[in-house]
Amino acid sequence: MLRVLLVTDTDKPIGDLREQLARMGYEMLAEVAAPSALHAAVESQKPDVVIIDTESPSRDTLEQLAVMNKAAPRPVLMFSNDADQQFIRAAVGAGVTAYSVEGLAPARLAPIIDVALARFAHEAQLRQRLAKVEDELEQRKVIDRAKRLLMDKRGMSENEAYAALRKRAMDQGVKVAEIARQLLALSDLF
Amino acid sequence: MNSPDTTLPAPERTHLRLGFVALSDAAPLAVAALRNLGARHGITIELCRQPSWAAVRDKLLSGEIDAAHALYGLVYGVQLGIGGPQADMGVLMVLNRNGQAITLSRPLADAVERGVSVKEALRSLGRPPVIAQTFPTGTHAMWLYYWLAAHGVHPLRDVQSIVIPPPRMADALVEGALDGFCAGEPWHAVAEARGAGRTVAYTSEIWPDHPEKVLACRRDFAALYPNTARALVQTMLDACAWLDASAHRAEIAEALAAPELLGVPHGLIEPRLVAANGGDARALPVRFFDGGAVNYPRVSDGLWFITQYRRWGMLDADIDDTAIAASVNQTALYREAARAAGVALPDERAAATFCDGRVWDGGDGARYLAGFDMRA
Repeated sequence: MLRVLLVTDTDKPIGDLREQLARMGYEMLAEVAAPSALHAAVESQKPDVVIIDTESPSRDTLEQLAVMNKAAPRPVLMFSNDADQQFIRAAVGAGVTAYSVEGLAPARLAPIIDVALARFAHEAQLRQRLAKVEDELEQRKVIDRAKRLLMDKRGMSENEAYAALRKRAMDQGVKVAEIARQLLALSDLF
Repeated sequence: MNSPDTTLPAPERTHLRLGFVALSDAAPLAVAALRNLGARHGITIELCRQPSWAAVRDKLLSGEIDAAHALYGLVYGVQLGIGGPQADMGVLMVLNRNGQAITLSRPLADAVERGVSVKEALRSLGRPPVIAQTFPTGTHAMWLYYWLAAHGVHPLRDVQSIVIPPPRMADALVEGALDGFCAGEPWHAVAEARGAGRTVAYTSEIWPDHPEKVLACRRDFAALYPNTARALVQTMLDACAWLDASAHRAEIAEALAAPELLGVPHGLIEPRLVAANGGDARALPVRFFDGGAVNYPRVSDGLWFITQYRRWGMLDADIDDTAIAASVNQTALYREAARAAGVALPDERAAATFCDGRVWDGGDGARYLAGFDMRA
């Protein structure tokens, strides 16, 4: 049974990847979050595979182990010209990086990367959707404040205020929220 | 260096993504981007901060970034395939010399300052000291190993050498997880400000005017887009020259403090960027240009790193080390860029005397290597 170490020191919520891999029959080692603990965990628990966020600051800790300790997992070659390249590129794109011990057949590693990839990509989509919703909400707030400003200071109706903002936005070729932001910034000055 | 280039072929690519790691010596990249210095040479630069050196390597290899501020030794580690993927790499130019340091925990630094030898101080811990650096084949690993060996401490047997991210070093010292570290600035200033430890050696004491960060790319980038690579070197030479004025360094220290660059208070960046490590008389200042003396990608500088990989058992392949260094360091391209920029070329070799009294004259690597008593 392959021993898998999951490093979770970034804000990617990949916690249930652990359960998924455990259900597939991998031996999941205790998760590690701090780089100094990571060094000790790899030395003492000897994982066959380490899965880590590509953007994790702890990756260089694993690189040191790969060079100085022959038994430690090494970075999996993500850029070879073989048929797996597309798949591996997708992994890099989704932010998954794998380290595996020397001699581990790619076919044994593939299912692990596959699940991690699905999990990471899923999270990336969720995060993007959340960011979009938050952004839209923020824009709506800004536009509402700008409308109120115009209603208070210029005696416009709500419809007139919005029409004024929209006309300015179309003239300048920018979003209504951007015009609203400019207006609010200017009003802060006076 | 004041008139725009009209005689040179236009760059094949006009928008370049440059990777950097949050360090004070990423200053030339920040200058080039913030002052839009590429415009004169027909390029725009986008800065892409990287969380680790492994990410710098992977993104260079995948093409996600075109070039990067990189540890000299990282480029050679990838070229030689040490501990990871192998790829043909290029060093376009040296971005800076000096400016790194070794910090020890307060009790150890106190002992060393009282005159206790480094070896005795470390032995007094009664356990193997844990000393961190930043990347296995990188500059900090090689400075640390050289310095320890010069003090009679075997870096592989007497010390546990680990890597942790530089922003974590001060905390790790406070928690007692570390006894010292070798890294770039501003992380030593941060450690001192936190009361976690004190700087006991500057890397310019190990190798005066040592090469440190380089402008790195995949070799096929330089081969496929030679005019782009040349324009990029010209741009970075302009940036490095601009940094020679101390007023400019103060200005860029302020810009570097921004969260999207270093995210460290300006007051911790500036002292060790403007003067020689905050005015400590033992140190040479970090140099970015010095009339061009800094930037030539001297083949013998690259060869030195290969001698050290052999010394510490990280490389035993039977290859022509000088030929490797000559293929990595893009001297012809640099010469062309320097000529266009009106920047003087330094001598092909520069002899240096190291902290253990040994001289590296850039000549016979094998004979130099044979002269080390302490090795893997």
